[in-house]
Amino acid sequence: MKYQSQKIALNFYTAAVVLFLVQVLVGIIAALQFMWPDFFILNFNTIRTLHINALVVWLLMGMMGATYYVVPEESETELWSLPLAQFQFWATVLAVTLVVVGYIVMGIFPQANIEIFGTLLLNEGREYIEAPRWADILIVVSVLLFLFNCFMTIMKTKKFTAVQGVLLGGLTFLALMYLPGMFYTKSMVKDQYWWWWVVHLWVEGSWELIAAALLAFMLHKLLGTDVKVLAKWMYIEVGLVMFTGILGLGHHYYWIGTPSYWLWVGGIFSSLEPIPLLLMVWDAFRTTRETRGVVSNRIGLYLTVSHAIFNFVGAGLWGVIHTLPQVNKWTHGTQLTTAHGHLAFYGAYVLLIVAMIYVTVPSIRGAKEFNQSKGYQAFWWMTISMVFIVVTITGAGMVQTYLERLLGLDYVSVKANYNLWFWIFRAIFGVGFLVGVLILVVDVLTLGKKPAASGS
Amino acid sequence: MSNNAAKHLFIWGSVLCFVILIVLTVDTMGKLDSRAPEITAEVDAGKKVWHKYDCIGCHTILGNGSYFAPDMTKATVRKPKGYLKKFIMNPRAIRPDAAMPVLGLSEKEANDLMAFLDWMSKVDTNNWPPPPILAQAAAGKAASAGQVLFQQHDCAACHQIRGIGGVAGPDLTNAGSKQPDPEWHIAHLKDPAALAPDSAMPAFNELSDQELRDLAEYLVTLK
Ligand code: HEC
Ligand code: HEC
Ligand code: HEM
Ligand code: HEM
Ligand SMILES: [Fe+2]
Repeated sequence: MKYQSQKIALNFYTAAVVLFLVQVLVGIIAALQFMWPDFFILNFNTIRTLHINALVVWLLMGMMGATYYVVPEESETELWSLPLAQFQFWATVLAVTLVVVGYIVMGIFPQANIEIFGTLLLNEGREYIEAPRWADILIVVSVLLFLFNCFMTIMKTKKFTAVQGVLLGGLTFLALMYLPGMFYTKSMVKDQYWWWWVVHLWVEGSWELIAAALLAFMLHKLLGTDVKVLAKWMYIEVGLVMFTGILGLGHHYYWIGTPSYWLWVGGIFSSLEPIPLLLMVWDAFRTTRETRGVVSNRIGLYLTVSHAIFNFVGAGLWGVIHTLPQVNKWTHGTQLTTAHGHLAFYGAYVLLIVAMIYVTVPSIRGAKEFNQSKGYQAFWWMTISMVFIVVTITGAGMVQTYLERLLGLDYVSVKANYNLWFWIFRAIFGVGFLVGVLILVVDVLTLGKKPAASGS
Repeated sequence: MSNNAAKHLFIWGSVLCFVILIVLTVDTMGKLDSRAPEITAEVDAGKKVWHKYDCIGCHTILGNGSYFAPDMTKATVRKPKGYLKKFIMNPRAIRPDAAMPVLGLSEKEANDLMAFLDWMSKVDTNNWPPPPILAQAAAGKAASAGQVLFQQHDCAACHQIRGIGGVAGPDLTNAGSKQPDPEWHIAHLKDPAALAPDSAMPAFNELSDQELRDLAEYLVTLK
């Protein structure tokens, strides 16, 4: 680490991995509720809300931490204002805590979710963006403060690198794309139309820009690859992400009451979405192969390459199998979607943030050598468990599609009888995943603090 | 390709795609109202109740949401509103092992929700969800007149016979052993609540006497 203010990244990373732990704990509760709906004091809907909101928030916090690390390094100067960054961190933690308390209150007393000033007080009742309006506003303010701090830092030295450009471009796009989720519409069709702008244009637009920028940053930092070459491929990758992803939004507009030309637009553009993700895999392998000499942070590199691979598999492959309208007609809204959602988020963003943590934390803590074995253990526990969860749920999705959608069996009987074993296995593999996360959290908190034993 | 060219391609290509998206969005917004019924005050109130109780946290609607509970897009097409309303107000009074909790909906909230779900059912969704093709291929093998009526009136939406059908009402695989008397069935079909207090089954009193008899004859053969 060259600049003291980069240390702020640690705060964000710590909050991120702790929330990751919470996310996975409630994930296991959700999985058990598939078998015993009354397993916990909170109903499934509240548990699921906690699961997916913890996910989104910790990934965002990871991205912010990563950016606070990257910007000073690229601009070669201290952050414009460290106190502002600290304030922004604690304000975010406070807002998240309030929102969580609200969810729990609403989970126990559904009637408490009253309407004030035309919006709901505790829970907006829309998937992923359940956070109430007052929290939306706090989130936007927090992100604006964060972006402001980063831009002012760059203005100090006027070193506007390609990685920074795409990274902050992606983050600005991310902030803008939160806005379409912030108004009420009377029509459920319009509601979902704008809702998808947030959800799809985040994960298949702005977040991929951030991923491509951080990928280039990590490859450069780990391997010393020429920035010019990395930047060129990064531009090509993000260019293709946008050409395919923006209109690929149409794959969510097949059946929600929108005109049928979306079947063409969505089908064509979204089928091309795996291409940039494949390019990123190739990018990671090419740069690694071309590097001579030893890489000291092997776990960092390992995670970076794994991120690229699983981004392609989870988002690209598990996405493209159900993206054509002819297939999606039968699979839309089944467990297949859950399988894809898990592998895509894991590969594209969980591994991205975990890789960034392993690439940057040793240098923040000033450790040249550190014990890498825990990192590998965490990676394998998580990855193997996730692959099994996804295979299991893909099985459940195929059974559901066949029995419910093709044969016309009842939803409830398919869920309760035919898919029961899949739910049991998901819960078991979930515990394996939890083991991996526990190892990860302990390792991130201690990583590089004491000198490594020789030979590791 | 130079770095600068790649950069400009990325920026201007993105802008172009976004402009196309906005044009399509404007066009779509103009067409939506003609693809759905009018939104009355009750429909809007029902949508707000939907959000208030976070129904999306368990259900999908238009195929999006959570995969813990059945899709609500065409809910009022397959089951009568009277039944659905009774169910959402107190799921476990109808089926003790229902996974849906009692949310404490008021009578008005339940009525508004029904208006909302009814509106939803009438939206043109490009024929989604599609009718199950394999079931159609296997249909048409009904033997007796009563069995045909059973299919026509979609009793299977609520009742299972040997594993096929819904779970809202009792399994009818052995209905004939449980109630061997056709007259009981006729009376029950005409007015379920008279025989089963507070029954959530809709009354089939629009059926002719002959049809009722055919159905009852079929039901007593189920053993
Ligand atoms: C905690 C999860 C949960 C929540 C929250 C929830 N439901 Fe349900 N709902 C279910 C499940 C599961 C079923 C399937 C039947 C069963 O096993 O209870 C169901 C069944 C239904 C049915 C009957 C469908 C049929 O075809 O028979 C309706 C209607 C319904 N829910 C409406 C709603 C509405 C409206 C809300 C919001 C006010 C809501 N549900 C909230 C879990 C939930
Ligand atoms: C909306 C759901 C629904 C539909 C549609 C429906 N039922 Fe029912 N049915 C129920 C419920 C709930 C009960 C239990 C309460 C009662 O006995 O009335 C029931 C009970 C019955 C019983 C008594 C079973 C027993 O074990 O006591 C029979 C027989 C029956 N239904 C036949 C039919 C037939 C025939 C049709 C089609 C013409 C039909 N039902 C349509 C919900 C439904
Ligand atoms: C980049 C990371 C990606 C992530 C994190 C991601 C995540 C998700 C999630 C969570 C859902 C479910 C949304 C809901 O709950 O309703 C979803 C749906 C979907 N995704 Fe992705 N996705 C990604 C990329 C892709 C790509 C590249 C494709 C296509 C090539 C794709 C195709 C789809 C489709 C077709 C659906 C709708 C499924 C349905 O009809 O039910 N996704 N995605
Ligand atoms: C212990 C491991 C985990 C278990 C047991 C688990 C379980 C679950 C369950 C039961 C649901 C609800 C699905 C439904 O509505 O049918 C869910 C949803 C979801 N989970 Fe997990 N989860 C785990 C880990 C993760 C991880 C690591 C991620 C991120 C990579 C993740 C991302 C999501 C997302 C995005 C959804 C909502 C979208 C969807 O259902 O498709 N989960 N999870
Ligand atoms: Fe998408």
